[in-house]
Amino acid sequence: MSETKTANLGIYWRTWVVLLVLTAIMFFLDTLAMPRGLFVVVMLLAMMTKATLIGGIFMHLAKESMDLVVTVVVCALGFGVLLYGLSVVDAHRIYEMAQGIFVR
Amino acid sequence: MTTTTYAESRWMGGTCPFAAGWKKVMMWVFIVGDALLFAGFLTGYGYARSMSSDWPVAGEVFNLGLIGLMTFVLISSSATMAAAVATASSDRAKTARFVWMTVIGGLVFLGLQAYEWTHLIGAGGRPWENPWGAALFGSYFFVITGFHGTHVLIGVLVNAATAIRTSKGITTPENVEMAGLYWHFVDLVWVFIFTLFYLI
Repeated sequence: MSETKTANLGIYWRTWVVLLVLTAIMFFLDTLAMPRGLFVVVMLLAMMTKATLIGGIFMHLAKESMDLVVTVVVCALGFGVLLYGLSVVDAHRIYEMAQGIFVR
Repeated sequence: MTTTTYAESRWMGGTCPFAAGWKKVMMWVFIVGDALLFAGFLTGYGYARSMSSDWPVAGEVFNLGLIGLMTFVLISSSATMAAAVATASSDRAKTARFVWMTVIGGLVFLGLQAYEWTHLIGAGGRPWENPWGAALFGSYFFVITGFHGTHVLIGVLVNAATAIRTSKGITTPENVEMAGLYWHFVDLVWVFIFTLFYLI
């Protein structure tokens, strides 16, 4: 960190171009009449790729200590999102009870 | 070879397990908390949409060209912020320039979002009803994009302060990096909103 007189910005501009290309591909695929399931899967993959690039390179997670990455991304965020996922199952059960279609 | 003494052991605070300063660790804790806010909104949105029979088709409600432009502006501002963080320890004038470019990107994004909201409200879109289908569509749209827009506005203010403080030489490269982490997070959230709300 101390000997960086001229910072190397190439990696950031390249990431920027990749993010824009991914976005352009997503827009292009949106204009095609793809099967719904395939479209959703491809979009989610592209979304996660973009998120990984932003987190890994722009936010430096690729260069941070593994302890920080695991604590932040896997434990805190991962389990938090898992909790939301589980609560959706419960929400749906309550919805079905309200509809009177709850089966014991 | 080396024996870890009581004071040096990780869980006694004798070492620095994350190999990062407290600002960065705390920033990440904040970001995770904030991310869970948006994750909650998006999970609720996903459930409401999957249970709805008349959810509006995004391509028919939104001007996707405008959304594409907003995405381009936000991703670009994230790239200039990454450049600002990278130059923060070597070139103050350059850093301030990159941060100002980020501020301009944020302002353009907010302007485009204001235009989008004005258009949708003019067409009858409300948080409680809309002419396109399920009423919850409007609720989720205004809450999710509104919260995100508020984050952008706060980011613009933080970045403007960072740019001014950088020019005056009264901030540190670490502080620029913290502002950068927040701004990239705002961009990251938009990647999810863009895909889940506007495209899918």
